[in-house]
Amino acid sequence: MNTGNERVPALELKGLHKAFGDFTAVDQADLTVAPGSFYGLVGPNGAGKTTLLSMAVGLLRPDAGRSHVFGVDVWREPLRAKALMGVLPDGLAMPEQLTGRELLLHLGQLRGMELDTVRQRADELLTVLELTGSVERTLIIDYSTGMRKKIGLATALLHAPRLLVLDEPFEAVDPVSAATLKRILQRFVAGGGSVLLSSHVMALVEQLCDTVAVLAGGRVVTEGPLKKVRGRKSLEEAFVELVGVRVGGGEGLAWLAS
Amino acid sequence: MVGVLIRMKLAVLRRAASGPRANNMASGAVLGAIGAAGTIAITRLDTAPDTVLDLLAVVLATWMLGWVLAPAYAGQPALRAEQFALLPIPPRRLAFGLLATAFVGVPAAVTLLAFAAIVVYALPFGPAAVLLALLGTALLLTFVVLLSRLAAVALGALVRSRLGGAISGLITAGLLAVASSGWIVFVALESVLVTGFSAEFSAVVRALPSGWPLVAVRAADEGDWVMAVVPVLGLAVLVALLWLVWARALGPNRLARPVVRGSDAEHAVPRGPAGAVPAVFRKELRFYWRDPLRIQSLVVAPVFAVLTCLVPLFFGSTAFLPFLGALTALMGAVTSINWYGQEGTALWLTLVTPGSERPDVRGRQLAWLVWFAPAALLLTVAGTVLSGRPELWPWALTATVAVLGGAAGLLPWLSADQLVPGPDPRQHKDSPLDHGDLTGPAFVMMFLAIGTTGPALALPVLAEIMDRPALAWLGVPAGLLTGTLCYLLLGALAYRILANRGPELLYLLRRGREHQGQAGAEASALDTMPRSRRRLLLVSVMAGCIALFPQAVVPTLMKLSGEVAQVWFLALHLPQELQWPMIAVMYLIGFALLGLAWRLYANAQREFNRKRARKGAALPA
Repeated sequence: MNTGNERVPALELKGLHKAFGDFTAVDQADLTVAPGSFYGLVGPNGAGKTTLLSMAVGLLRPDAGRSHVFGVDVWREPLRAKALMGVLPDGLAMPEQLTGRELLLHLGQLRGMELDTVRQRADELLTVLELTGSVERTLIIDYSTGMRKKIGLATALLHAPRLLVLDEPFEAVDPVSAATLKRILQRFVAGGGSVLLSSHVMALVEQLCDTVAVLAGGRVVTEGPLKKVRGRKSLEEAFVELVGVRVGGGEGLAWLAS
Repeated sequence: MVGVLIRMKLAVLRRAASGPRANNMASGAVLGAIGAAGTIAITRLDTAPDTVLDLLAVVLATWMLGWVLAPAYAGQPALRAEQFALLPIPPRRLAFGLLATAFVGVPAAVTLLAFAAIVVYALPFGPAAVLLALLGTALLLTFVVLLSRLAAVALGALVRSRLGGAISGLITAGLLAVASSGWIVFVALESVLVTGFSAEFSAVVRALPSGWPLVAVRAADEGDWVMAVVPVLGLAVLVALLWLVWARALGPNRLARPVVRGSDAEHAVPRGPAGAVPAVFRKELRFYWRDPLRIQSLVVAPVFAVLTCLVPLFFGSTAFLPFLGALTALMGAVTSINWYGQEGTALWLTLVTPGSERPDVRGRQLAWLVWFAPAALLLTVAGTVLSGRPELWPWALTATVAVLGGAAGLLPWLSADQLVPGPDPRQHKDSPLDHGDLTGPAFVMMFLAIGTTGPALALPVLAEIMDRPALAWLGVPAGLLTGTLCYLLLGALAYRILANRGPELLYLLRRGREHQGQAGAEASALDTMPRSRRRLLLVSVMAGCIALFPQAVVPTLMKLSGEVAQVWFLALHLPQELQWPMIAVMYLIGFALLGLAWRLYANAQREFNRKRARKGAALPA
């Protein structure tokens, strides 16, 4: 997977930096997602994953640094860059009073796609993601968390982007839906697409990704092929070592279930 | 338990007193204290004793009504039963504790002060009457607090559904109409003080629970001890009953939200023109039809207009009827503000979809016009025909088309520029009343929308002065022109704001407050202003508006139309030859104060821009 040097990276983050008042959320972060790679960004809660990804895709203005999608600067040429990306943020609202199909048809037209193409793709996406049938007429405001993730992924895939940036796509998703999502993402990568996803579920990243980066305290602690980062240990052990925290939970709490 | 809850409530109040709503709290306290003082003052009015009692009963009933309707504006109370659902506390004990917290705060304090009027009223009637009055005051306060909590439960259940949205829209419209026609009270008061209330009216206000303590006090004075004790006992029984109902109503939500269904696979596909603007337009139409909050604003506008224009009919004036439509459009604009705040963080989709800002604004503008323009035009025609004053046709039509266009342009611009963050729709789908405080933007919208009609309405005014009635009709094309310009230019401004400051707006929506310590982020100049300045700004805007509109513009119109009702219009109480000079002085004061406000704001804005520019130099792109 180390061919990224010869080709234009799918996503290249250089020195991205963000501070909120005195708190530095992301500290001079660099990342390179090679085309065709399945890239996992891991880190503990509050490490700055969401902030970093938001800056990468144009949802949060960085204090400093650059983000390039296939060589196009997200903050200087947003129109071109955004056409190449599909984005799934974590925990943001949707146009809540629409059904899943209405939303996809709406977004397709906003992106200037042919209505017939949108119809056909929306139909396929909803079928694959099991958002048809009894939930066809359910408004998004009444969707479960898992369904929200699925319709979010559908909006990210609709315009056939070359890069997907997904923030915690498997959070609160049931195992069956998760399997569906995984299969879709693997097919996307097999077809030449690139994926950058964040997660704090190590097993999942280990199973899907070929490249990983560890973010802790707003800094990219390490980045590289999965095998190299984890070495002979599991990713979880390597992660705990890298992040440099002691695993708590072994002391105190004597009164619990005594 | 009670102590813990009260300490929690005090902590909430402390935070609120230093937060952005501090001004609301302070002005609420001042207005409440004035109201309370006025209530007490009634007891000392020099008129028939029966009239004093009735007036007092009316005012106490108004306070009670205020408590019932308050949840519609204040949203949910700070401490709610759901927050304690997982703690093993018996419901009645929790109810008792929560009730105690309801007495802690500005509203209960000013109401207690107002209800003390009962005691003041009882003072001349001897110790027994005073004792009854003290008991009655305490019970009445408890009663209104409980009533308010129950109203919150009922209203919460109501607004979740679309029918409820429509009903609460009716209530809101009625309240707004009453509030904006408040000057009528002074007219009514004048005649009441002379002739007293009718027997039926008096019986009704005394029969309301708010009148019971007064009836008791009066009976004690007359030595009728049955009628003295029964009302107070009755109030105690009512309080006990309400408390039981409320304690039962606590706990998990029993009133499910009716689920709105979307279109099936076949009907989801658009018929007719496809494309970005039609897509947004269709989405908006669906939102208006499916969202209880939007339905509420659809109802409020025409109902408010009709009620407000009916009030002058009591004085035999039909001059307001032709402006039904213009008022509908104006109110439709005021109640529709904050498009982007209402939909919460869904703005991210606009940000990641390249080039979607323009169609987003245009589609929303079109949809708003499609909902409000036909109603406004229809009401204009109906009102003008009914008024029987054909000479007002050009005025009415000019005002309506100018407001419609002006509002359709102002709406996206103010929604983006003055965005007020609120919770995401799915977080408050069971309590849609919990939204940001929209008072500021609502006033801005009202004045600017009225302002956009100025140029077009100048033509009928000119025609009147020059005595060339035909000329007045030029106002209509002029209104169309200014309306179209507003629609196009302000709309363009709005989508530029979305494109240039989109990430900052999204951040504001995410965090619910301005992005502090970050240059280029969308903090408004008002936030960087010292609080004292901000208060001065607020006062000068309010006083300036009072001087300019009711004290200058309204008497001008009255004098011009020849329909003079003195009411509280200072100038009209003066001798004939001094009236116009007084009106001129009022114009002067109004413009001066508004000018001062503008300067304060502009200075703060300049300061703010300077700060931003300094920090912005270090920013990329």
